[in-house]
Amino acid sequence: MKRFVCLAIAGLALACGGASQAGPGGGGKLRFAVIPKSLDIPVFNYAKIGAEREAASRGNVGVIWRGPENADQLRQKEILESFITQHVDGIAISCLNGDFLTDTINRAIDVGIPLVTWDADAPKSKRMAFYGVDDLAAGRILGEQAVTLLGGKGKVALITSVGAVNLERRLQGVREVLARHPEVTIVETYDIKEDPVRCAEIIASATNRYPELGAWISVGGWPVFTRNALAAVPPGTKVISFDTIPPAPDLLKAGKVQVLLGQKYFGWGSESVRLLADIKAGKLPPSPIIDSGVDVVTPANVDDYVLAWKALEKK
Amino acid sequence: MRRLWDIRELSTVVILVLEIAFFAWYLWPEGARSHPFFNVGNALLVLKYSSIYGIAAIGAAIVIISGGIDLSPGAVIALTGVVAGALFVDGHWSLLASTTAALLVGAACGAASAVLVVIVRLPPFIATLGVMGIARGAAFIITEGRYYDLSKDLPPGWRLLGVPLDWTSPLLMVALALVFQVLMTRFQWGRAVSAIGGNQTAALYSGVRVGLVQASVYLISAALAALSGIALAVVQGQGKADLAMGYELDIIASAVIGGASLAGGRGSVVGAVLGALIFGVLRNALPQIPGATFYDRLIVGLVVIVIVVMDQLLQRRKGTL
Repeated sequence: MKRFVCLAIAGLALACGGASQAGPGGGGKLRFAVIPKSLDIPVFNYAKIGAEREAASRGNVGVIWRGPENADQLRQKEILESFITQHVDGIAISCLNGDFLTDTINRAIDVGIPLVTWDADAPKSKRMAFYGVDDLAAGRILGEQAVTLLGGKGKVALITSVGAVNLERRLQGVREVLARHPEVTIVETYDIKEDPVRCAEIIASATNRYPELGAWISVGGWPVFTRNALAAVPPGTKVISFDTIPPAPDLLKAGKVQVLLGQKYFGWGSESVRLLADIKAGKLPPSPIIDSGVDVVTPANVDDYVLAWKALEKK
Repeated sequence: MRRLWDIRELSTVVILVLEIAFFAWYLWPEGARSHPFFNVGNALLVLKYSSIYGIAAIGAAIVIISGGIDLSPGAVIALTGVVAGALFVDGHWSLLASTTAALLVGAACGAASAVLVVIVRLPPFIATLGVMGIARGAAFIITEGRYYDLSKDLPPGWRLLGVPLDWTSPLLMVALALVFQVLMTRFQWGRAVSAIGGNQTAALYSGVRVGLVQASVYLISAALAALSGIALAVVQGQGKADLAMGYELDIIASAVIGGASLAGGRGSVVGAVLGALIFGVLRNALPQIPGATFYDRLIVGLVVIVIVVMDQLLQRRKGTL
């Protein structure tokens, strides 16, 4: 009986070891876990495509795409911990709350799992690299675009979703710029709680309250994720928003939005996989912060942007 | 006067009128500016967004009156929107066919709840919690994080049977409230629902087909949630798995502040719609008050407690008269 138990344990150990080598595709592929902030935010679907394309092009990499169903910090931490327990070959994560995940990220590094962050960083952690926009700088661009469109004076309302560190940074950037222009006043900062329906409702209601509003500035893409959210905005009010995924360019062409800030959505996935593969091959990035930059899309360049986007989609 | 006061929904109407009067006063504009809250356009806005909750709240109220609870409406709203979007956008089905199919999917969720409650005899809380998870999960599986943009394939200025899009869901809400109010008060089925909620054993001995009536309320609740989902998808222009996240609590709260007793046997579908309007007015007015955006959850919570306590006091007073 004792021999049977020993054999069973040995068999189990071999099976577990074998599983970590085999990965999803089998044959000794590297298993990289890619964790978005949430599965329900449309921009992350492009990161998934980017990661899978990069993995396919390398041949020896398998991507495990898993994230919380909605923006739930604790659930994201649980998913990260499960990948550490599985001892995957690398982890790329977009952090809902970098500070909250710092200890867990450090644990992954301490047990020898390379970890990079993308889109939203955990700057106090031991993560090996970050790929994404500089949120503070991006927020400043939003603010500057608004000031230019308003001619240096007017009332603005801000849209955010409280809780995400990167959104807070963008908001900080916007406020810094607007603070330098005393004739631009922030009438309100709206928390739309990651709900695009609530976003549409707030925009419509606040338009009644502030019909003379000069501009809406959104640090996330909620107003441009649907075609109808900006229906109540009068022609004189400018809209400056983050994110450029469809249908946002159509809204810009229709004059409902004046400026969009695009991120490297496909790059979040592809660059993360590339970084992890390089680290596994012993090649560290020259700098841990890799600024992806932003695409400032206006009526002047929207057609070129759409063409480039279509090319990326077809790739 | 006494008979008028006995009308169950009157206290909810009074609360709604007082709420509107308060915000009309509080948001009174300076000078010659038009009123930002008390105007026809804004009333339509309140109705448009409240109807998403209100249609589903009718079903929630019926379930609560029967002594049960349905936690699945938010997930069913999302699933039906996604199904309608997938069939309309990817499947190139007609809008009528895709929304009908979505309605059937919603009804299937209700059938699943009914089977779990009536045949498997699970507590309604557990049964509908399970269906909630399955419906939300199915929506995520279909979308895989994407969303279906219905609005791009709907012609601009599109009308449903000649009715402007913004008016459709409020009109649907009012029509459904009237139909179900009549069904609940004038028909044997409605009286059976109240009887089961009041005392299931007594209802059984009175010859009420308890299982059949219970099954019907879960089916109706899910079908109404599905209609909300279709309205949301068409009006909002999007089918997305995370839409209506947490709406089930607002929907149940609408039914409760509209007078439905969680102990069963008491409540009103018109009251539930009025409850949804009370929330709708709050959601609409709070963004117009500077600094209130971070307080809205707290205020909504307080309002629920205050209204239900007031209602209980009123009922006790009526009982002692």
